[in-house]
Amino acid sequence: MQRDVSSYAIAPSVKVKLLNAGFLSAADLCDLRPLQLSKEACISQEEAVEVLQAVRCEPGQERAAAAGRLTALELLGREQELGAIVTFCSALDMALGGGMPVGKTTEVCGAPGVGKTQLCIQLSVDVQIPVCFGGLGGKCLYIDTEGSFLVQRAVDLAQAAVEHCGLLAEDSEQQEALKGFTVETILSNLFLVRCHDYVELLAETYLLADFLAQHPGVRLVVIDSIAFPFRHDFDDLSQRTRLLNGLAQRLIQMATNHNVAVVLTNQMTTKVWNGQSKLVPALGESWGHAATQRLILHWEGTHRLASLYKSPSQREATVPYQITGQGFRDAPPSDQPKASDDPSVRESGSLSKRPRMEDDQSTRK
Amino acid sequence: MVVLRDGMCPGLSEELVEAFRAADITTVEDLVSSDTEDLAQKCSVSYKALLAIRRVLLAQHTAFPVSGADLYEDLLSSTAILSTGNPSLDKLLDSGLYTGELTELAGGPGSGKTQVCFGVAVNISYQLKQSVIYVDSTGGLSASRLLQMLQAKSCNIEEQMEALQRIQVFPVFDIFSLLGCLHHFRCVGLQQASAGGGSVKAVIVDSVSAVISPILGGKQNEGMSMMMQVARLLKTIAKDFNVAVLVTNTVTRDGNGQLKAGLGQSWSHVPRIRILLQRLERPGSTCSSVRTATLAKSSRQPCHLKEEVDLQCWGRSEEQLYGMSGKRKLENTEPS
Repeated sequence: MQRDVSSYAIAPSVKVKLLNAGFLSAADLCDLRPLQLSKEACISQEEAVEVLQAVRCEPGQERAAAAGRLTALELLGREQELGAIVTFCSALDMALGGGMPVGKTTEVCGAPGVGKTQLCIQLSVDVQIPVCFGGLGGKCLYIDTEGSFLVQRAVDLAQAAVEHCGLLAEDSEQQEALKGFTVETILSNLFLVRCHDYVELLAETYLLADFLAQHPGVRLVVIDSIAFPFRHDFDDLSQRTRLLNGLAQRLIQMATNHNVAVVLTNQMTTKVWNGQSKLVPALGESWGHAATQRLILHWEGTHRLASLYKSPSQREATVPYQITGQGFRDAPPSDQPKASDDPSVRESGSLSKRPRMEDDQSTRK
Repeated sequence: MVVLRDGMCPGLSEELVEAFRAADITTVEDLVSSDTEDLAQKCSVSYKALLAIRRVLLAQHTAFPVSGADLYEDLLSSTAILSTGNPSLDKLLDSGLYTGELTELAGGPGSGKTQVCFGVAVNISYQLKQSVIYVDSTGGLSASRLLQMLQAKSCNIEEQMEALQRIQVFPVFDIFSLLGCLHHFRCVGLQQASAGGGSVKAVIVDSVSAVISPILGGKQNEGMSMMMQVARLLKTIAKDFNVAVLVTNTVTRDGNGQLKAGLGQSWSHVPRIRILLQRLERPGSTCSSVRTATLAKSSRQPCHLKEEVDLQCWGRSEEQLYGMSGKRKLENTEPS
């Protein structure tokens, strides 16, 4: 049974001409010469050559698709090899199964000022921790759409990370690694891209594969934030959904092919439902499927909490964290009872959390 | 719309094809729908020969009737019902996934679609010792979670590894690679495609909407045609290779705010059975791993049947699942 012509990646207008000329399956095309095809289907010679290339190299492509397959056992090995990026908040690392997983996409949602950008900057420093300290020794690409990246903050966090590793260093290997792990090297391994609107952002994601191929050391791509460029300038919401869905697929593909962790931040929006309002991540419900993991940062009174809302591998959990001068850290011990993983405690916590978040929001407005 | 070529059937020579073309007859469809007598005159061929060609071509492009008795015989001998490993889900599905059918799981983000897929994959590979093909389009497949589920079922590392090896993963991220991948299955057969031990009994596509939704809508209707090709290929694979096909889909809300499966009207006819998964939003509920599953479409069970599905049930061992070890508390023995 032959594959339909319409299932190939050929321009739609050419496809229509091919179909009208009666070319239905790949078999109808295979033994034709370009000249013959261009005459019979009334397409230009260049188009005919392209069509034949697409159809003929297909067996190779199918083999490539088959080569991309692996057993779950091989996948397990790969997952363990890739590791994760620590956040410097041990409770959150635990909830995430060791940190932000490399090779997956993670969405961080939260109200303004709750610490999304802080977490992103922390991750962009932590990804560079040398291997002998249990890090990944990678580089970071930071795509800033809001203009919220603060380089002096990155310096603070880098300084703290270097000091932290300095305290841990024991053997000579670690001492040696520490010489190459300074604030200067951290900053030079952090690439910042400033995108002003969604067109720039989309263009950047198309070029990202090339960048990653040139810089194989990159282990983390941050987009802070995905929501900002997509929350205005759109009359046609279905077009926005389509662009976002396409973007999500490209990011997942990139995360898998280039072994990078992709971290996206998203804003929150108010949704009125059955006469009640609640805060939900922006960009609509269908965007919720886009990232593999979703982490929601929120306030509870004066405490900051991070909730893992969806994850294929970890159970849902809510953990406290704080943001200090040194960066993203574990909450001080006085908050620890809240770290309890007991579902009943967590549930009662979230019950009292909702109204307070709304108060918070309304005073802000 | 198949182009007429010489050698397609006895009697259809090159000259005849040329003659047909001169009479504006290029495809089988044209030939069959034209007036035979008229055509015989135009192309100066014998009426009898033309009739014979017509009959052969029709026979080549037709399907044959099968008697209900044969079909039933076939059903009894070849259909398997694959348990999902979750008692309440099995109840909804009338005891499990049927081979030869397309089953769909629809649900919002975090509603547990992927977890159900994992559970089904683990159950088929470990309990039934059969192979599973897992087409992952969201990057959501986590082998460590599969391992966790297996560890709850068996302490034998070798058995766990064997079960993992029976799950074949195909990462695809766009519609063309999905079509290529499905076409590959269909051409070379699932057994060769999987290249693992045991016969392939299930194909899981998680998620079908992730690759289709970027091309749907807008001014071009090409996306729709691609979607229907995916549907056709999945159905053919399910029938021809006699496997259960499980796909996941997103949800949208209709005018009344009710949840319905995504991808629109035309896709809604594709799956034979559709289950809607929802988070349980019950105030004061203590267990967050419970989801409600609603049967939205089925040809065997009454629709709108509702069950509560505990996603953690795949993380439990057999006796815990069926309550043989009454005293042990389930939550405490959960691997974390």
